[in-house]
Amino acid sequence: MAGLELLSDQGYRLDGRKATELRKVQARMGVFAQADGSAYLEQGNTKALAVVYGPHEIRGSRSRALHDRAVINCQYSMATFSTAERKRRPHGDRKSTEMSLHLKQTFEAAVLTELYPRSQIDIYVKILQSDGGNYSVCVNAATLAVIDAGIPMRDYVCACTVGFVDETSLADLCYAEESGGVSSLALALLPRGGQIALVQMDARLHQDHLDTLIEAAMTACKGVSKVLDQVVRQHLQEASTLQE
Amino acid sequence: NMSPTRLCVPGDKLCSVEDCIMGTGVYLRHGYIYSSLAGYVLRKNEGEELPVISVVRETEVQLLPDVGAIVTCKVGWKPGRRGPLTDLFRGTISFVQVEMHRSFRPGDIVLAKVISLGDVQSNYLLTTAENELGVVVAHSDAAQMVPISWCEMQCPQTHTKEFRKVARVQPEYLEA
Repeated sequence: MAGLELLSDQGYRLDGRKATELRKVQARMGVFAQADGSAYLEQGNTKALAVVYGPHEIRGSRSRALHDRAVINCQYSMATFSTAERKRRPHGDRKSTEMSLHLKQTFEAAVLTELYPRSQIDIYVKILQSDGGNYSVCVNAATLAVIDAGIPMRDYVCACTVGFVDETSLADLCYAEESGGVSSLALALLPRGGQIALVQMDARLHQDHLDTLIEAAMTACKGVSKVLDQVVRQHLQEASTLQE
Repeated sequence: NMSPTRLCVPGDKLCSVEDCIMGTGVYLRHGYIYSSLAGYVLRKNEGEELPVISVVRETEVQLLPDVGAIVTCKVGWKPGRRGPLTDLFRGTISFVQVEMHRSFRPGDIVLAKVISLGDVQSNYLLTTAENELGVVVAHSDAAQMVPISWCEMQCPQTHTKEFRKVARVQPEYLEA
């Protein structure tokens, strides 16, 4: 079958990247003045917008409040124009609900929720353009938004989606690779301490390859964390020079 | 005057728990103090044995001027009011001993001292009633003016003199 080779003999992928190469990450913090924190992040062609509100009093049912820490409320949605075919149901479908739950679990591991008992932190992420690695891009965008909101965290949360094909781990999958029969795994990492916040995989992978794949994912996440670190530091510099 | 030191991001290891007491914006893990915010590291000695270490974002209250602080401000344009100045925050010069039009013009850079923080309604109250306080930089229509006495400045191009309350700047701060 000619044409779409996920990994060529010379080691190049469909978009010309090498196996361990990440896509270009560009991000901006503080894109909305009204929200407590916001960020826009592009990873290759996948674009996500994250907005954070809080910590504030629990809205709705008081029974959901936790007496000793804050509740993190995440909502993941995709714009109707984000995919090749117009999405009919941007949120409320099963995939979105699952994603929202994963994001919640991820950030509960990183945010110091014990500082805000009986309150709520809202994280909304919207995919504006979907080209693979949706969960990872959301996590990265949301990390920047949470930092922008001044909500204390143990560390950055960096995520990357990796896949296994031809005995090689491919870092940061794009949509063509994800749908091309690669066993993909998404991992969210706290890079400084090396702690894993979440691992998600619903493909089939031989257990011998699992360690290699997780290693590749952790390395990729650390690469992402370097970029996010630069974005945060630059944002701090800009904010301080504006004040002078 | 507090000048914030270095930038830090969440997860940065700041120091050991034996060197400092934890303030805000930090957390403790395995005997070390880490930052939990993106901002500036602030070490303050508050009379205890060890300094208190905290991380503050740039918009925090700690960076506001206190009573007795000397601030640099620019004179704003509000005729009929008591010469309001803008720092990063607005202030008003109390001109009990001073005549407004003989002391400042809009656009001047002035060194003033905070005498009151004001309340919800009013701004900071400032004074220039000391020798070291007053106008530091003033422009005429043509160029930057040069001080010729404590109450006058002259434009080097047009040679017109204007009244200002001039600050006596310490010699080491003057540019060569």
